[in-house]
Amino acid sequence: MSKSTYTYCFIGLTLVLLLSFFLNLSLGSVHIPINEIFEGFTGGELSKKSWEYILLDYRLPKAITAVIAGAGLAVAGLLMQTLFRNPLAGPFVLGISSGASLGVALYILGGTAIGISSIYISGKWGLILASSVGSASVLLIVLSVASRVRDTMALLIIGLMVGSITSAVVSVLSYFSKAEELQRFIFWSFGSLGDLSWRGVYILTGCFVIGIFLSILSLKSLNTLLLGDMYAKTLGLKFSRTRLTIIISTSLLAGSITAFAGPIAFIGLAVPHLIRQVIPTANHVILLPAVMIGGAILMLLCDTLAQVPYSQYTLPINAISALLGAPVVIWLLVRKKKVLF
Amino acid sequence: MKKMVLAPVILLLINLQLLSCKQQSEPIKETSSTVESVQLENAVTYAEGFNITSYKDYTILDITKAFPGSDKVYSYALLNDSNNTQLADSLKNSNRIDQTLITPIQSIIVTSTTHIPSLETLGVAQTLVGFPGLDYISSPLSRKRIDQNLIKEVGYNESLNTELVIELSPDVVVSFGVEGENKTLNTLQNAKIPVIYNGDWVETHPLGKAEWIKFFGALYNKAHEADSIFKRIERNYLSTKEKAKKIVDKPTVLSGAMYKDVWYVPNGESWQAKIIDDAGGNYLWSQTAGTGSITMSVEAVLDEGQDAAFWIAPAQYTSYSKLLSDNKVYGEFDSFKNKRIYTFAKQKGIKGGVLYYELAPNRPDLVLEDLVSILHPEQMPKSSIFFTPLDE
Repeated sequence: MSKSTYTYCFIGLTLVLLLSFFLNLSLGSVHIPINEIFEGFTGGELSKKSWEYILLDYRLPKAITAVIAGAGLAVAGLLMQTLFRNPLAGPFVLGISSGASLGVALYILGGTAIGISSIYISGKWGLILASSVGSASVLLIVLSVASRVRDTMALLIIGLMVGSITSAVVSVLSYFSKAEELQRFIFWSFGSLGDLSWRGVYILTGCFVIGIFLSILSLKSLNTLLLGDMYAKTLGLKFSRTRLTIIISTSLLAGSITAFAGPIAFIGLAVPHLIRQVIPTANHVILLPAVMIGGAILMLLCDTLAQVPYSQYTLPINAISALLGAPVVIWLLVRKKKVLF
Repeated sequence: MKKMVLAPVILLLINLQLLSCKQQSEPIKETSSTVESVQLENAVTYAEGFNITSYKDYTILDITKAFPGSDKVYSYALLNDSNNTQLADSLKNSNRIDQTLITPIQSIIVTSTTHIPSLETLGVAQTLVGFPGLDYISSPLSRKRIDQNLIKEVGYNESLNTELVIELSPDVVVSFGVEGENKTLNTLQNAKIPVIYNGDWVETHPLGKAEWIKFFGALYNKAHEADSIFKRIERNYLSTKEKAKKIVDKPTVLSGAMYKDVWYVPNGESWQAKIIDDAGGNYLWSQTAGTGSITMSVEAVLDEGQDAAFWIAPAQYTSYSKLLSDNKVYGEFDSFKNKRIYTFAKQKGIKGGVLYYELAPNRPDLVLEDLVSILHPEQMPKSSIFFTPLDE
């Protein structure tokens, strides 16, 4: 593909992103006419006070969260697929989401199952704190192992093993919990983008910016990594430092998103493949911004659908992202007859 | 190595920072009410989860147990004169007050069906504008209002749909407190919709649950009505309990049922266990501590409960055949063989909501009459408002 083709691709993606963003803001359980929405964003008065709040303080933070979650998870997925040179890797291969689950399970279910009271960290930020502490602890384990293990593939397996251990603990906790606690835990595991306060959005944005900055720092190394560990070393790549930067970047992105929005599956695994099918390149300088935009678009569309416009129902975001995304990935792979990787 | 811990630590620090931000509250400006606390006759007697203190121009409603193990007291100031802005401001700025409400409430969203009988008995059912999961509601009066589209669906499965609630903008949302964070409720608070907690489900005394009608009485300036309604329920309950107390021969009672391979039975300090006890039944697990359910293996239940005379409330089961087809072990119990199993799961509203879940906490006197008429038919004429025999 020539440079101008890439430019057109990016212009196209950006337009779709803007459209998805606007669509996401204009659809929800409550019907707000289009002209009112323009009114709201141009600083005018809306005809109903409640609409103003829904638009600016409920849907807007939700849409921003969707953009950040989609972009962040897609980048984290891309980084992991490149680091492990494995098309099946995703943002959670290092056990970030299983660690978060464990933290949240202890927080919600621990009280009944093992008599730990979560009252000490109750309130608004308890869940977020529990999730962060959980994923941070698992990461510390994986990081300390990473410094000892030379082989990247071994790291992948260790991540999966840690995930198995945590999910086993979660099962035991679930087994001894009350129905309503289980329901809360299950609902958390479905993921949710809504109901973030502005402060939550700011913090998430902060983590996102740092994570993306770190991944931009490793752009060159990422391209080299695709050639293989040994080859990259002969090219003079500071391998262990690169690997560490990539892991920290991924954990910041995936960890903060999981803390605020729950474990959102699928996006991180699928978006890099979708983008590679649309823009066939292995150059991360192009891939990275493309997967960011692609992830944001997919997340916004999924959230729009999950809101089930004009009905009182909302659907869990995790289910929608896979229902919507998986067939697309399958169709693309069948059409192209191979994985572009 | 040092660098390695950076990312998780940053996350942690940010979170700790958040917590500390949260704890910096505004300076204390207590309300300057020199008026002595006037104890109305609706002082709370059985319920442990709330207190009502009336002052000259306002009432303070304290929720002391919003959920099990809650150590925070939620204080709500109820102001019955919206023009008294000076008082309203000083209450709003008081550190002790979580929420200031103007009473009587004109529009309300409640989140548990147990709140609905209180609204109806107080004659304020017309203020109910929304409920999450309308199908759970059984009461004919409220069902009629749902059919007329006067009560809107605002969510599903007891989780509120933020947009629909904001659209309705009720004077207050009454939520049953759940431990920890609830993102939706935080959003509603930010949208200037007061959310207040109701902990009726935490109460363990049968009359304690029913006493929460006074909570709604306070919201609607109907303290006296609430009080006299509660007194009537209390009188009924206590006189039935007296009758049952005289009985010497107390039949043994088994309860609960299995889910997968775990049998859930009500704990000895739970509401269900106390009512069985008050009805002159010898509940098998009345000595266990705690208020929820205990999980037991089927072996243990069979060992202790095989020869129990009665089996009250086998979870969702409504027929002997279903019990047997789900698990053959149920057929081993004497109460099964002698057809002495009674369930509340058959009495349903038009949309399938179980009446017992909605009305029983408010009317323990009726539950008690049911149980006495089952356990001691010679003492009480047949009453089957909630409990009926299982189908074949």
